Amino acid sequence: MDWRSPRARVLVVAALVLVWMGSALGRLAYLQLFCYGDYLNRAERQQQRIVEVSPHRGVVYDRNLHELAMSISVDSCYAIPSEISDPDMVSRLLAGVLDVSPDEIASRLASSNSFAWIQRKLPAEKAERIADMNLKGIYMMKERERFYPKQQLAAHVLGYVDIDEKGLGGIEYSLDSQIRGRPGRIMVLADAHKHWFDSSEEGAESGSNVVLTLDQTVQYLAEKELMQAIRDTHAIAGTVIVENTSTGEILAMANVPTFNPNARGDAPPDARMNRAVAALYEPGSVFKIVTVAAAIEEGLTNPNEVIDCQNGAIYIAGHRIRDHKPFGDLTVAQILAKSSDVGAIKLGLRLGAPKLYDYIRDFGFGQSTGIDLPGENKGILRRLENWTPISPGSISMGQEVGVTAIQLISAMNAIANDGLWVRPHVVAGMRHDSAFVPEAQPEPRRVIRATTAATMRSMLEGVILEGGTGPAGRLDGYTAAGKTGTAQKTDPATGRYSATQVIASFVGFAPINNPSVTILVTLDSPVGLHEGGQVAAPVFKRLAEQVLAYLSVPQDEPLRPGLRRASYHPNDPAAESDASDFDPAQIVSLNTSEDVVAPPAHETPASAAAPTVAFDSDNGVIVPSLTGKTVREVSQECEKLGISPVLVGTGVAVEEDPEPGTTVRRGSHVTVKFGRAPEAPSQSRKMN
Amino acid sequence: MTEFFTVKRIDNSRVVRAMAPQRLRACVRFVGLSALLAAVVLLYAWQHFQAIQMSYRLEELKSAQAQAVELNQQLRLEAAGLRSPMRIDAIARGQLGLTAPVPGQLAPTQGPAGAVVAQARRDSAPVQ
Repeated sequence: MDWRSPRARVLVVAALVLVWMGSALGRLAYLQLFCYGDYLNRAERQQQRIVEVSPHRGVVYDRNLHELAMSISVDSCYAIPSEISDPDMVSRLLAGVLDVSPDEIASRLASSNSFAWIQRKLPAEKAERIADMNLKGIYMMKERERFYPKQQLAAHVLGYVDIDEKGLGGIEYSLDSQIRGRPGRIMVLADAHKHWFDSSEEGAESGSNVVLTLDQTVQYLAEKELMQAIRDTHAIAGTVIVENTSTGEILAMANVPTFNPNARGDAPPDARMNRAVAALYEPGSVFKIVTVAAAIEEGLTNPNEVIDCQNGAIYIAGHRIRDHKPFGDLTVAQILAKSSDVGAIKLGLRLGAPKLYDYIRDFGFGQSTGIDLPGENKGILRRLENWTPISPGSISMGQEVGVTAIQLISAMNAIANDGLWVRPHVVAGMRHDSAFVPEAQPEPRRVIRATTAATMRSMLEGVILEGGTGPAGRLDGYTAAGKTGTAQKTDPATGRYSATQVIASFVGFAPINNPSVTILVTLDSPVGLHEGGQVAAPVFKRLAEQVLAYLSVPQDEPLRPGLRRASYHPNDPAAESDASDFDPAQIVSLNTSEDVVAPPAHETPASAAAPTVAFDSDNGVIVPSLTGKTVREVSQECEKLGISPVLVGTGVAVEEDPEPGTTVRRGSHVTVKFGRAPEAPSQSRKMN
Repeated sequence: MTEFFTVKRIDNSRVVRAMAPQRLRACVRFVGLSALLAAVVLLYAWQHFQAIQMSYRLEELKSAQAQAVELNQQLRLEAAGLRSPMRIDAIARGQLGLTAPVPGQLAPTQGPAGAVVAQARRDSAPVQ
């Protein structure tokens, strides 16, 4: 063949092209058929990223769905030390932002070659400054951080979490497994520019949201009043619990000392303890409700039986027990009202140790109440066989037993709740998406008959009336009942009762006939005035009045004369113009509580002249004299005048408030009391 | 010797190519199939690139949604802090000069028909 011929040349070129194509195809086939898996893995390694997703911890709400605890994403800074060429310079730059010494950061960088935390859960501004530095080998990772927007509000109920969002106290601990959720990961496909172009999430599961029985307003009122009492009495600690009488729902649980769960590390361990469920103390006279209720339930006495209180001393098993006052003959109702120790001891002895023990157990002492909070103390109630001869006497008046505040309020609540003991609880249910799943509650347990409970309520009202130990606990506008307690603390140095330190307490409920709330107040070691009736009962009064009004519980007793007028302030045009100029939007721009310092509750600010409720005298009506008129006549006359009558009692009108001749705003309430005769006693009330 | 060249005039202008319908159909089919194949290939390529573009867009939207959810959470947290009773009480007393009402000043009222604002606030489901 002539290699120089065109045909030959074409053949040569074609052969070369064929060889080239053949080799390319061969290589292609080799890569596709034999190296496919290897290259696929390499491609996936380059394109795929796996991003760990922190679990979304559920939100904790109060009963009105106000957020009490929630988590948001924050940046955490980490390093890959092997990528950092100049660790010293990086340490110095980061130290300037993070307020950490450069040496510490350098040691963190030196701790590992592949990964090292620089600082977790940074504030947004610090994270932004670090990101702006654009340091090689320094990265940001999103993590969830728990926040408590109401700060110390209900801190002991909510609890707190650690840096990994693991619950360590309160609801955060007891419901951790349900709130926490499950971590997951996102599989991401990214291009060479690290732009994501595909992703799939797997495994992550948000935690359940919890709805508590707490009401943030009631909680705030409880904390405010408790704090005020602590300031007034210089007590070292205190507890207030507000419970829904019929359901056992805890509306508020306040403790002092308290802490801010956003900065739990700054608080001493003592401040983080939920004293309402964990602190033990001798209840003192409050415990007499158990003794008296048991004696009445057993038919061993009645409210009118007269018992000789032996001028304030009694001997039991060779021990002389003195009363806090020398009393002579007292009815059982007076024993409770005046808190006679001798009277209670006599009833306890009449009851006998076994029955007294049984009733104490039935009222929930010596065992946990089952409240859904961690760290509940079962209390101290010695087994019956370990009782000494003096025990029935001591225990009858609230000594030799250790109780928690939650046990005590539950016992009083049983009396308020027609003899039914209900389990106190703080968790109303779980909220999944928008569906609410209520928490199942055990059936109420009958402790005493309803009639016994009604008798007890009637007798306990005597405690807050004149002659009782707690008249300072009497409410305005509502009937109420309760029991005071002043228990000596044990001096750890001597092992004997302290002469100076006491636990002052008051447990009560209101209104009497259909109790809405049961409230407990305890103050540990008040200075100066120290009896329960002196320091704890006023807290009950202030708190109960506010809570009942907030819960729109109708008043069942006329207001004490003069109070309504005392609250009026003259119209102040300047103050009104200030108020009318106020733009609600300003609220949002106002500073938080650090900058807004509330004046002490007992002080009235200078600018407080503006009336809380403005009475427009131009449109006012003059309250007529309604004395002697029937209910129907009063109703008709009030309707004609455009005022709203609050009718109390039956018969003819004997009293009215405000007084006749007072100018009130149209639509205002006028309380009219009816009775058989004008001199009908103002204290008379009937029990159902 | 004399050579004679005869010129034979060939006039094939009247020759008409015989129609070959089968070939023509085959040709059209071939062109059509090629065009279809090219269109399919182009469509596939277009879809593929569109899918990639949409993936980028989807990831952007996912990211935007995540940021919006996060912003929502932060705003809810801020709102919850602003609604703190402690803060409101402090403002009411310290800045607005309000005082706590005494028992007689509080009277339960019945709202006018159709008043739903308070109810809506109470029952409003938080955004998850």
